[in-house]
Amino acid sequence: MNAKSLIGLIVVVALGVLFWWGIQTKDQRSELPSALAGREAPTFEMELLDAFTGKWGEKINLADYLGKKPIVLNFWASWCYPACYEEAPILEAAWRRWGDKVMFIGVDTQDERKNGNEFVARFGLTFPNVYDPRGKIGIDYGMYGVPETFIISKEGRVIKRHAGSVDAATLEKMIREVVE
Amino acid sequence: MKRWVWILVLLLGASMAQTVGNEPPPDYPPEVFEIAKKLRCPVCRGESAAESNAGVTEEMRRQIADMLEEGKSEEEIIQYFVDRYTDWILYEPPKKGLGLVVWLAPLIGLGIFGLGLYSYTKTTAKREAALEEVDDEDIARLEAELERGSNNGGKE
Repeated sequence: MNAKSLIGLIVVVALGVLFWWGIQTKDQRSELPSALAGREAPTFEMELLDAFTGKWGEKINLADYLGKKPIVLNFWASWCYPACYEEAPILEAAWRRWGDKVMFIGVDTQDERKNGNEFVARFGLTFPNVYDPRGKIGIDYGMYGVPETFIISKEGRVIKRHAGSVDAATLEKMIREVVE
Repeated sequence: MKRWVWILVLLLGASMAQTVGNEPPPDYPPEVFEIAKKLRCPVCRGESAAESNAGVTEEMRRQIADMLEEGKSEEEIIQYFVDRYTDWILYEPPKKGLGLVVWLAPLIGLGIFGLGLYSYTKTTAKREAALEEVDDEDIARLEAELERGSNNGGKE
């Protein structure tokens, strides 16, 4: 094989590899690590949905909870079907199991308040859920779409991001990582 | 006269419609859309934050407008979104690292194509030149040998 054929072969193989890489690469937005990973969690103060004002007051300020317990921060919306509907009972069950060690906060994002309240009632959610009609908190956390769940360490740093509906085993694993 | 007035009214209407269509919606100044054009819509495919009507991009444009009012520069505003979404949020890939490969890929492809084309034309030209170099005497001798071979039934 002369030098010219060898160069030709290398070019063909390189193009083949590039083609293969191109077709097998998926849009991996859901697998992208959070840009905030390891950084301090952005704080917010937001109004709570109606069911929570009796116990938690009109508003919740994340800063009041940072540095005390790990936090599970879940973004959802009533129009996010079926993903948000699948994970809501899982989150509620985890809150009932881990609530003494981990704070849970839900963020109803870009939603109608009435629909958000109905969603809370439908799943009997008892952990506090704030109402963010503009989706401001989502942008602060670099959220791509609902549902997304962030785990904040006891030290107040974002350490994990899960995009899409979270299943019980994954949530349990993420919580154990910050609790134990 | 009346006809001229109607034509004037129609032309004026058409020109106004054109102006309105080319302007951004009146709620934000054009600078907001200029910056939003450089950012991707996080929940869409192939749309910038300026074009998309998704709720998240409405909020992005609102935040850009707020930051401009606070006196932040375009670089600071873009960095704000990069800090939250990584370089992924940039509508055009940055001209560094892997992004640079994306920018250079068409040039590299064009170079490879040019080299291939050059090599092909050179080889073809050489082959044609070699054919032209055979003189009539050689061709006649070759034809005679071929004929002799066929007369002998292919046997020497």
